[in-house]
Amino acid sequence: MDHFDELLRERARREPFPLPEDYAQRVQDTCAALEDRPPARRRSFRHWGGWLAAALALFVAVPNVSPAAAAAMAEIPVLGSLVEIVTFHRYAYDDGHSSADVTVPELSGGQAAQAVSDEVQAYTDRLLEEFQAQQETVGEGYQGLYVTSSVVTDTPEWFTLRIDATQTQASGYDFSRFYHIDKTTDETVVLADLFQEDADYAQVLSGEVQAQMASQTAADPAVMYFPEQLAIPADQSFYWNETGDLVLVFDEYAVAPGSMGMPEFTIPREVYAPLLRTP
Amino acid sequence: MLDKEAFCAQVMAHQDAMFRTAKAILRRDEDAEDAVQEAICAAYAARSALRDPERFKPWILRILTNKCYDACRRQRPTVDLDLVREYLPAPEPDHVENLALWQAVMTLSGDLRITVTLYYYDGLSIREISRILGISEAAVKTRLSRGRERLRRLLREE
Repeated sequence: MDHFDELLRERARREPFPLPEDYAQRVQDTCAALEDRPPARRRSFRHWGGWLAAALALFVAVPNVSPAAAAAMAEIPVLGSLVEIVTFHRYAYDDGHSSADVTVPELSGGQAAQAVSDEVQAYTDRLLEEFQAQQETVGEGYQGLYVTSSVVTDTPEWFTLRIDATQTQASGYDFSRFYHIDKTTDETVVLADLFQEDADYAQVLSGEVQAQMASQTAADPAVMYFPEQLAIPADQSFYWNETGDLVLVFDEYAVAPGSMGMPEFTIPREVYAPLLRTP
Repeated sequence: MLDKEAFCAQVMAHQDAMFRTAKAILRRDEDAEDAVQEAICAAYAARSALRDPERFKPWILRILTNKCYDACRRQRPTVDLDLVREYLPAPEPDHVENLALWQAVMTLSGDLRITVTLYYYDGLSIREISRILGISEAAVKTRLSRGRERLRRLLREE
């Protein structure tokens, strides 16, 4: 702990903090007005038959966001594009100890959009099931599950939906999934689909990522990676950035300590262009 | 389970921390007071979930932060200058020589403000803050680092 850190603690302790004049009285009045009766028992997962029951009974399905609101949130794409978010389903749970807030987008616009919707629903269902199962063992601790989504790319040819999740228990864990749709073919796409069938794209991309890791660690001693853990699977997370560059994304802890967050590496086009299926 | 008397005693003991936390998120005194009131009622209704009274402070602060974020979501449809300010660079205070720490903290962006408040004012650990805010410990550390650097500049400390 450095001097400034200690100074902040000391000043926070020492300096008077302004409270509204009526605040203490309002707290007191609120406490006095609490009804002195036993609270509702905390609901248990144990007696519930299956996930569907749990989903209906425990996870309070907040009324779905209206299509109009969904449109605003998704920033509905320009005319001529095929894929859009039509609604969100939200699952929320909070017992004051553990909490979950999972928002699941639903797409429309073709077979690929339906396939992505189904995949996202299955994925978030699995996360919620894990949360539910963990509730049995969480004991005195907390756990949290937060899932949000965003549209990363929406052009006449391409649509990318990003699902971000944070699981919190003993420590936090951030991870993401990317779902891509080639609008020109109405097909879902994973990283491997970008490249020719016989192309060793994994080795080429791994080499570039490892080179960038080495460069960053040489430039900044605070930066740390685990290059030996690097793997590029067929469904490796990626997106196209604003300038059209390929960006590879790794979950927290996958290739670096947690302090590095979720590392991203932008791959120069010349590195992979010869391997592309459609140059 | 805490009875009403014990529950209220805990609330009284932590009422300053509760207001500070709500203020760090919502900025306006009136909104902060409303959120604290809502949190007290919600926490009382859910008090059977608190198995360890020693954990009362992080427990009720988490309920309170959820209430505050709910309030933020409710406020979003209207354009509030305070909320717009969240997305703008924090203004530099005119008089930095004797700037109170809290004044400096209030110039931070929302994410940094609440994290710094919980850490320095309320003495919560990084793990407790991650649980209260529902973010990873790495994210807490990053926010603290950024908040600290900005405060260092504002308070002109080296």
